[in-house]
Amino acid sequence: MSLNDFSRRDFVKLSLASAFGVSYSGWLPKIASAAEAAKEVGGAKHKSFILLWMTGGPTQTDTFDLKVGHANGGPSKAIETAVSGIQISEHLPGVAKQMKDLAIIRSLTTAEGDHDRATRLMLTGHRPGQEAVNYPSLGSLFAKELGDESNDLPHYISVSPFRFGDAGGPGFLGPNYAPLVVSGDSSDPEARANLSIENLKAPAGVTKESMEKRFEISKFLQNEFASRAKGPSTKAHKANFDRAMRMIETNAKGAFKLDEEPAVLRDKYGRSQFGQGCLLARRLVERGVAFVEVALNGWDTHADNFNQVKRLSEMLDPAWSTLMEDLRERGMLDSTLIVWMGEFGRTPKINGTTGRDHFPVAWSTVLGGGGIKGGQVIGNTGDAGTEVKDRPVKIADFYATMCAGIGVSPDNENLSPEGRPIPLVDRGGKVIEELAAVPEKKKA
Amino acid sequence: MFFNTRYLMWVFALVGTTFVVAAEAPPTKQAASRLTTEELAHWIDERFAEAWREAKIEPPGLIDDATFLKRTSLDLAGSIPSVSQARDFLGYDGEHRRGNLVDRMLNDPKRPEKYAERTAAHLATVWRRTLVPGNSPEARMAVGLEPWLKEQFNANVPYDEFARKLVTATNNGQPQMVVNTRLGAINGGPTMFFQAVGGKPESAASSVSRVFLGVRIGCAECHNHPFADWKQKDFWGMAAFFAGIKNGAINDSVAATIRPENSTVDYTAAFLTGEPAKIPRDKPPRETLADWMVSPSNSMFAATAVNRVWQHLLGRGMTDSVDDLDKASPAERKILDDLARLFVDAKYDLRWLIAGICKSQLYQRECIVLEETDSEPPPGLRPIKTLSPEQVFNSLEQALALPVAKADGSARFNGLRDQLIARMNEAATNNPEEFKAGIPQALLLMNGRLTTEATDLDQSRTLRGVLDAPFLDTESKLTTLYLATFSRPPRDEEKKFLLDHIRKQAGGDKQKQAYAEIFWGLLNSPEFVLEK
Repeated sequence: MSLNDFSRRDFVKLSLASAFGVSYSGWLPKIASAAEAAKEVGGAKHKSFILLWMTGGPTQTDTFDLKVGHANGGPSKAIETAVSGIQISEHLPGVAKQMKDLAIIRSLTTAEGDHDRATRLMLTGHRPGQEAVNYPSLGSLFAKELGDESNDLPHYISVSPFRFGDAGGPGFLGPNYAPLVVSGDSSDPEARANLSIENLKAPAGVTKESMEKRFEISKFLQNEFASRAKGPSTKAHKANFDRAMRMIETNAKGAFKLDEEPAVLRDKYGRSQFGQGCLLARRLVERGVAFVEVALNGWDTHADNFNQVKRLSEMLDPAWSTLMEDLRERGMLDSTLIVWMGEFGRTPKINGTTGRDHFPVAWSTVLGGGGIKGGQVIGNTGDAGTEVKDRPVKIADFYATMCAGIGVSPDNENLSPEGRPIPLVDRGGKVIEELAAVPEKKKA
Repeated sequence: MFFNTRYLMWVFALVGTTFVVAAEAPPTKQAASRLTTEELAHWIDERFAEAWREAKIEPPGLIDDATFLKRTSLDLAGSIPSVSQARDFLGYDGEHRRGNLVDRMLNDPKRPEKYAERTAAHLATVWRRTLVPGNSPEARMAVGLEPWLKEQFNANVPYDEFARKLVTATNNGQPQMVVNTRLGAINGGPTMFFQAVGGKPESAASSVSRVFLGVRIGCAECHNHPFADWKQKDFWGMAAFFAGIKNGAINDSVAATIRPENSTVDYTAAFLTGEPAKIPRDKPPRETLADWMVSPSNSMFAATAVNRVWQHLLGRGMTDSVDDLDKASPAERKILDDLARLFVDAKYDLRWLIAGICKSQLYQRECIVLEETDSEPPPGLRPIKTLSPEQVFNSLEQALALPVAKADGSARFNGLRDQLIARMNEAATNNPEEFKAGIPQALLLMNGRLTTEATDLDQSRTLRGVLDAPFLDTESKLTTLYLATFSRPPRDEEKKFLLDHIRKQAGGDKQKQAYAEIFWGLLNSPEFVLEK
C-alpha cells in the first residue's frame, strides 16, 4: 500500500465525516505551488509579520546608532545608506541599500536590564510580574490579528527561538496561538540549515510503510472511540491528530525543504541557520502564516564586542537584505512587516574586556516593510549615546507603532479568561505617526 | 535480549499473578452525626433522579467495571491502572468491589500500590492547578506548592483547616526563594501560593476570592463589576487584608488598609458581605479573614469547595462556572448548598466527600453523548474529560512500564517527564471539558522519545513483556496491550481488525512490528488521552 492509497482512502472517509468539521482542502496544493499560494489564502492578500529577534541584546552603537568620533564609538565605522543623511554600520552594507524601506528608532527607552525580564517585556509589551494577567506574546497577538482560520498551517512559527527568557507563549490566548517551533540545532555545517519541526520526522528505523500502518490503526481506533464517545473533545482530538498527521505526510513531500529554492538565492540569504531561517520565513509567509520569528543568538557581547558584532553582522546583513529584496520582488513587501529587535541595547561605554553590557536606557530597533514609511530616523541619543535627547519612545509607543505598521489598531482588544478586555497595547501607547498611519479600531 | 529478575517480574505483573484483591469488607457504619459515604451516594442519586424526572431526562446507562476502574484510577490516583490491577479487578465479582476500590484508593497506605499516597499526590496537582491556573512563569513556579499540598491531603486535613492554613500562611517577611521550575520537587511551602499568583495584595485578594469563595472580583480592581453586584470597595476591602504582602514577602504587622495606585482613597479591610472587619491588635489581619471565610455561616465557602470536588470528579461543576458562583441558577445553587451543608456536617472531610460521589450511581454513568446541537449537558451528567499533563505522563509511565527509580535513569528524573509536561502545559486548561492540544503536542506523542522507545522492539519493556511471554497466544498478547493502555480487553470488532493486521504479516520480526504498530496506535488514540 502506498502513501497515496492511504491518503485517498482517508480523504473519502473524511469527506463522509464532514460532521467532524475538518477541512481537507487547500493545504497540499499550496505546498506544491508556492506562487499560487499567496493569492489563495482568504481571497484577499494576507498580511504577515516577520520578527528578527536578536537574542542577547544587540549593540546599537555598532549597528544603527554609531558614535563615530566619540570614545564610546570604538572602532566601528559608518557608511552612507540609500537615504542621504542616514548612516549605519559598515558591516551592514546590504541593509544600507534597503534604507528607503526601513525606519530606525534610536530612542527606545525601557526599564528592564535583566535578560529574562527584558525578553518578557519586549515580547509581551508588559513588565513581568506586575499583574496577574498572563499576557500573550507579540507572535500570538499578531497570529490572532492576522491569522487566517482557513489556513491549515499554524499561525505562528518560531525558527530556532533560543532566548534568554521565558517568553514567546500564547498567554491567555491559548494553544491555538502558540508557536510551532522549527529547530535546526545541529552544529554540523551541512545539516545546520536543515530546519525542521520538532518531532516531525518519524523516528529512525521506522519505515514509511510502518508509519502508514500506524496511522491506519490510529484511524480505526479513532473511529471506534468516536462511535462510542461523541463530544467536542473527541472532535478536537481528531482534528488535531489529522493536522499533525498531514504535517508529517507533507513534510515527506518536501514542505519544509529549502532545496526547492534556487541555489543562487540560498547563497544570497547566506548558508547560516539564520540566513536559511529568513528564507524559510519568506516561504511560510507566502503560504499564509501570520507571524514568523527568526532568531539570531550571540548578541550578549560582554567581551570582544567588535569582533563578535562583525561576525554576527555578516550573517544578519545578507539574510535581512535578501529577505527585503525577495519580498519586494514577489510583491509582498507592503503586506509584510519586518521588525528587528532584541531584549535591550548595550552600554555605550566600552568595558574593560572590550565589551558592552546591558543597556535599556536608550537603544535602537528597526522597522520595515508593511505600512512603514521608510527612510527615517526617530529620536537621537546625542554624541555619547548615554541618554535619549529627543523623542523618547516607550514600550507601549513601540507596540502601537508595530500595530500601525501592519494596519492593526492598537485599541483592538482580547478578552482575558476573567472576562476583562485587554487592549493589544497598554493604554497610553501612541503610534509614532511619522512612521505609520493610525488604523481604525476593529468593529466588535 | 537479556533476562534478569526485574524483567521476569514485569512479565508476571503483566499477566497478573502478583496482586491480590483485598478481602471483601462490608461498608462500615460511621458515627451518627454524619452520613456514611454510602448514604451520601444514595442522597446524591435521589436528588438527581428527582431532577431528571422533572426535566424528563433519561440518564445514560451504568458503566462496566473496566471503565469504572480506569475512571477512578485516573480521578483519584492520577494514572491508569497497571495491567495486573486491571486483570485482578476485572476477574473479581464481589458485591462491594467498586465501593471498596474507592475506599482503598483514598485510604490504603500499603505497599506496593501506596494508593493513599498516590491519591494525595494527584489531589495536590489538581489543587495546585486550581490555586494557580495558567502557564505563566509565575504559575509554573507553583509546582513548589505540591509537596505541602500533598502532606495536607495525605493527612486528610479537614478542608476548612486546609484553607485557613493556606490563607494565613506566613514567611516572616521573607519571600520564598524563586524556584527553578525545572526542579519542581522543591518544597516551597504554602506561602508560595501568594508569590505564584503575583505577590501583591491585589492578586492575593482576587485569587483567594476566586478559589475559596467562587467570587470573581478581579474586574472590580479597576471598575465596578459589570454583571454581578461587586463594587470596587469590595475588591479593595478584601485586598486590605493582604496589605502586608509585597513582592511575595508577607509582613503581618502592616495595618489592614490599602491605597490603590493613582488614588487618594484608603480602603480598610472589609468582608465581601460588606461589613467592615474588626481586627484585634494581637492578631494578623488574615486570621480575621480566615475566621469569616471558613465559618459555616458563610455559604460561599463550602458550596465552592463542593463544586470544585464535583468538577474534578465529574468533569464539570454542579454549576458550570466553578470560579464564579454568581452565575449559578437558583436550582443549581439549592442543590449545591444542600450538599455543602452535608459536607459541613461531615467536618469538611474531603475523603468522605470524594468517596460519596464516587460511590454514587451518578458517578458511574456513561458519559453524555453530545451532539452538535446540544449547548449544555443536563445537570449531573459527565462530559468526556481531557487528561491533565501529569495524568498523561503518569499513564504513559504505567503503560510503558517505565522504571521509576532515579538510578535506573527513569523518565521522572532524566528530563523526559519535564519535557513532556512542559509541552503539554502549553495546551492545558483548568477545564477538563476542553481538549486544547495542538500540533506540537500531537507530534510529541507520535514521534517523541518516549513513544519511540516504547514502540522499539529492543527497548520497549511492555512490548518485550508481551512478545516474549511464552504462555500468551496472539489474542492474549493483544488483550495485554489493551489492558496496558485502555485498561479493558478489546471489543470483538477491534479484535477482528487488529488480529487480522497481525496475522497478515509474514511472521518473525514483521509480526513483532505489527504489535509495535498497534501499541503506537493505542497510545495515540483519543481513548488514551481522554477519560470516558
